[in-house]
Amino acid sequence: MTKPAFRPFSFFGGKGGTGKTTCAAARALALAEEGIRTLVVSTDPAHSLADAFDIAIGEEIGLIAPNLWAIEIDAEVEAQKYMKGIQEKMLHIVSPVIVDEIRRQIEIAYSSPGAEEAAIFDKFIELMEKLNDPYEAIVFDTAPTGHTLRLLTLPEILGAWLEHLLEKRARAVELMSMVAKYDREVRQKLETDPITEILGKRKTKFETARRILTDPALCAFYFVLNAEKLPILETERAIRLLTKYGIPIGGVLVNRVIPEGAGEFLDRHRQAQQGYLQQIRETFSPLRITEIPFLDTDIRGINELDKITGLLKNL
Amino acid sequence: MGVRAVPFNFVKPFWSRIPCREFLKGRIDMPENGNETEKEQSVLESLKEWVSGMLFGSFVEIGTQAIRKEAFDINDNLMLLLFGDFLGIPNPISYYTLELLPYVAEELVPWERRMQNRKTIVAEKAGQYDFG
Repeated sequence: MTKPAFRPFSFFGGKGGTGKTTCAAARALALAEEGIRTLVVSTDPAHSLADAFDIAIGEEIGLIAPNLWAIEIDAEVEAQKYMKGIQEKMLHIVSPVIVDEIRRQIEIAYSSPGAEEAAIFDKFIELMEKLNDPYEAIVFDTAPTGHTLRLLTLPEILGAWLEHLLEKRARAVELMSMVAKYDREVRQKLETDPITEILGKRKTKFETARRILTDPALCAFYFVLNAEKLPILETERAIRLLTKYGIPIGGVLVNRVIPEGAGEFLDRHRQAQQGYLQQIRETFSPLRITEIPFLDTDIRGINELDKITGLLKNL
Repeated sequence: MGVRAVPFNFVKPFWSRIPCREFLKGRIDMPENGNETEKEQSVLESLKEWVSGMLFGSFVEIGTQAIRKEAFDINDNLMLLLFGDFLGIPNPISYYTLELLPYVAEELVPWERRMQNRKTIVAEKAGQYDFG
């Protein structure tokens, strides 16, 4: 197979426990070793990236190896930061009495189900904007499948929603300025409508994210699975959904493939795996399938990761 | 030098001859202290405001009332789309609409009250038209 073109954004997804964090870490390490300035991002609430590298990784970007930076995004902390920012802004604009009155509303929004996902997504966009400044490649170790998919389809759904809101606001502003023909103060206020401005900014942000996520020259989504029945089904479903939203699939990684001559007990297991491997090849046929062998030890730390970086160089 | 030669304060303004003070008492703000000229200036200001208010009310306001109501309705609907989750309607972007909160904070509480007190939409709509 020919070497695929390099894409700056790669996402690793898959069922929990298949080893996607290890794959993402090894991929990032492989890129860094080739001299590409790489950032590896974990959004998994379990934060296993630090375990994979065996190095403490924080909420701030830190250098962990030559050409390799890492960050672990904490959704809760991000959401809190965002809320705090709003509350501070509010105190500048409205009186504390009103702030106190709508405290309940803020709390409702804070505990709304999408809050953490949205916070992670915001951080994603923020990091993506850092491409070439200074990172040349960003590897995302994403959270389990269902959650990730929702995250990536957000721009699609939200874009349409925002458009509708903007239209409504524009109509309201138009009518209000018609009424305020004799009131210069109100007219001036309407000309710089903060609601339209903020909604517009959001929309541009989503459009940028959407453009990047659907550009096969910029990003690729990799699925990590084991040669078992359920991961195959789930990966198939996930790939179908991503394709529907136009997100490019980079390939499939089969982790923990038992090598030959591993002893009688594992050989029998290998037989079963080979059957599933055949099924994987048939199911995901045009996609690049990379097999990662089952190693005799846990992969922990950069030295151990080096054992598989060779396989992940050409994804 | 013609008219200009006459000192200005000798020329009594025409409205001082109109017995409007009695009429305006209680209707507009009447200054209690200050010299005569200031009092008259102030009366003139108030009178101007009162007349323009009356003209606005009887001609402009009636014409724009319908538009105002429409703008108001659209804004209420927009608020519903933005902050529906405060009323229990799930909103996919409630996290992002929070950014708007500082700008709509003052409208939020009355809006919520209006939404909860809505009785019939037909009656509300009918109220907009003048059937008389």
